[in-house]
Amino acid sequence: MPGDVISRFASVRLGTRGNQRKEHGFGQVNGHHGEILQGIFPDDAGHLHRGLVTLPCNIVSSTAVFRPAPGNLVTVPDDKLKAAEAARLTLDSLGLHDQGGHLTVESTIPVGLGMGSSTADVVAAIRAVADAHGAALGADEVARLAVRAETASDSIMHGDLTVLFAQREGIVLEHLGPALPPLEVLSVNTAPGALVDTVKQPPAEYDEWEIQAFRPLRGMLRRAIRTGDAALLGRVATASARISQRHLPKPAFEEINAIAASTGALGIQVAHSGTVVGLLFDPRNPATVRRVAEAAARLEAFGLPPAFHFRTDAVEVRHVA
Amino acid sequence: MSLEMTMSQSRESRGFPDYELPRLVRLTDNLHGAAFFLMKLLPARHMLDRAAADGRLKPGGTICETTSGTFGLALAMLAAVRGYKLILVSDPAIDEHLHKRLLELGVTLEIVEKPYEIGGFQTARLDRLRAALEANPGSFCPSQYGNADNPRAYAEVAEQIAERLGHVDCLVGTVGSGGSMSGIARFLRHLNPDLHVIGVDTPNSVVFGQPDGKRLLRGLGNSLVPPNVDHRQFDEVHWVGAAEAFLATRHLHQHHALYQGGTSGAAYLVADWWARTHPDRRVVTLFPDEGHRYVASIYNDDWLATLPGWTGVLPEAPQPVAHPSDVRPSWSSFRWDRRTLDEVLAAGTPVARDLAEAA
Repeated sequence: MPGDVISRFASVRLGTRGNQRKEHGFGQVNGHHGEILQGIFPDDAGHLHRGLVTLPCNIVSSTAVFRPAPGNLVTVPDDKLKAAEAARLTLDSLGLHDQGGHLTVESTIPVGLGMGSSTADVVAAIRAVADAHGAALGADEVARLAVRAETASDSIMHGDLTVLFAQREGIVLEHLGPALPPLEVLSVNTAPGALVDTVKQPPAEYDEWEIQAFRPLRGMLRRAIRTGDAALLGRVATASARISQRHLPKPAFEEINAIAASTGALGIQVAHSGTVVGLLFDPRNPATVRRVAEAAARLEAFGLPPAFHFRTDAVEVRHVA
Repeated sequence: MSLEMTMSQSRESRGFPDYELPRLVRLTDNLHGAAFFLMKLLPARHMLDRAAADGRLKPGGTICETTSGTFGLALAMLAAVRGYKLILVSDPAIDEHLHKRLLELGVTLEIVEKPYEIGGFQTARLDRLRAALEANPGSFCPSQYGNADNPRAYAEVAEQIAERLGHVDCLVGTVGSGGSMSGIARFLRHLNPDLHVIGVDTPNSVVFGQPDGKRLLRGLGNSLVPPNVDHRQFDEVHWVGAAEAFLATRHLHQHHALYQGGTSGAAYLVADWWARTHPDRRVVTLFPDEGHRYVASIYNDDWLATLPGWTGVLPEAPQPVAHPSDVRPSWSSFRWDRRTLDEVLAAGTPVARDLAEAA
């Protein structure tokens, strides 16, 4: 079991158990706005994995506080079951099988839209528990714990690093670069009121052409990141959204795409297991402010008023504990 | 889950990964050539991988195929290093040096000596192939003309082009089995719906609606329409004759130092023209094989001078035609407009056109 390996390392790192324990541990992580790319990708050995590249959204986040105590693990609110499971797994991985405590999770991430609310709660909980015990868990360890807690995770534990992430294994298939080229994202919820259980959905059954088609998308994404080319990024996101449309169709996809194209957007991206769609604009283009306003007005006239817009390189909103 | 377990054959079996993908060479400001060592290695390897993954091809099994070209060579190279038995059906037109090379690689070569009165060598070879498959139960036939793994293999070339060149406006390449051009066009068009795709064929090839006939330029065109040709991918089709293709092949060597085969010359002739007439658009074209097999022919001035229609002068531009049946022995072009073969042939029959002009 990988957990046993982690616990051995953790025991060494913690030194005498409990000496570095704090009264409170704190964990925080930002949400995302779906994906730039999601599909099936070969690793270096040619083996295929489900993988995704997340579009970060730093204006929403989950925060967790953990107060260690003997006995049971109590979570508030008590319906954050996956966060509670993640806290338990983290304690176990640190070798603290008898340890409990009090976990509080708060989030500004909307639930059920595919914006990473579940993974964010889980990652914040893992970080809070680790912090409470003076353990510095790397992103890969956090990812492994998160996948064990919720089966499939987003890659938000990797922060601003752009990774091709195997969401059902918690491993990085490829480090793509330090960050995506900046984007201005106009967010539309295509199914207001309809909650999608983003984790319980069966994984998409891609056909053989689609599995191959993800290769050129990955190739263009590498170039987009290497050269900072937001236009190429828009092409990749739109192509990935088109494939997703065959598996988890978004209402009014073609209409949104047409509005994006006619208002000078670089493309659109979707939450591949959610309901949000983002119209992508180049923030370095002076016409973008006007174009975003025009696209928002057209979407509103169509009956899908955008909820908000944000820049992917916006300064992170940090909660002070 | 099953999906994750399949398609994982490639890196574990022996093969030639560094020989599969082309080298990208910038020829002019807006024209890139993708120069292959032996383009067919990529689809051959992918077809064998997929067949091995789902059990159609057993370890140490037998592969049967009819080919007299580079697809047979690619299969022979892979069969040699992967321990498969390979039976290739061909006809007396097979190149003497290729014949020797295939034998050295351990291929069982079955040469059909006589053409059928109806159906010619093509049908005679298919009959011999059927007999070989029956005589070797459990053997695998890659069927490059109809196997969907052929076009799908070219995702790796599309990946390389997308990663190295980013946005591409126009793709130009020769069409024979339909694998490379239909495959790459569809993959790249998924990233750029406006991609302009030009297929290069040769007179007397039926692929884009010419009547069947004798062809001196080999490696493109066909006497049948392979199911792998997705006609709706093509915006434009050109027919290039042997003499101008060979002269363009020499031009490619003289001016760009690329020593390629005759199909490369045909692709280069068309791509260079389109790039010159669209200087603000980025063009990529495919060069399917190297020139070493053509030392005594294309790279031999005396042999070139014996060609019918040899002028020694490269045409500046194609002759536009209104219907595939109007194609002449030399370079012609036609607006295909992403239609099916039936749509093109029905919409523009000479009779229909005469009626339209009279109206």
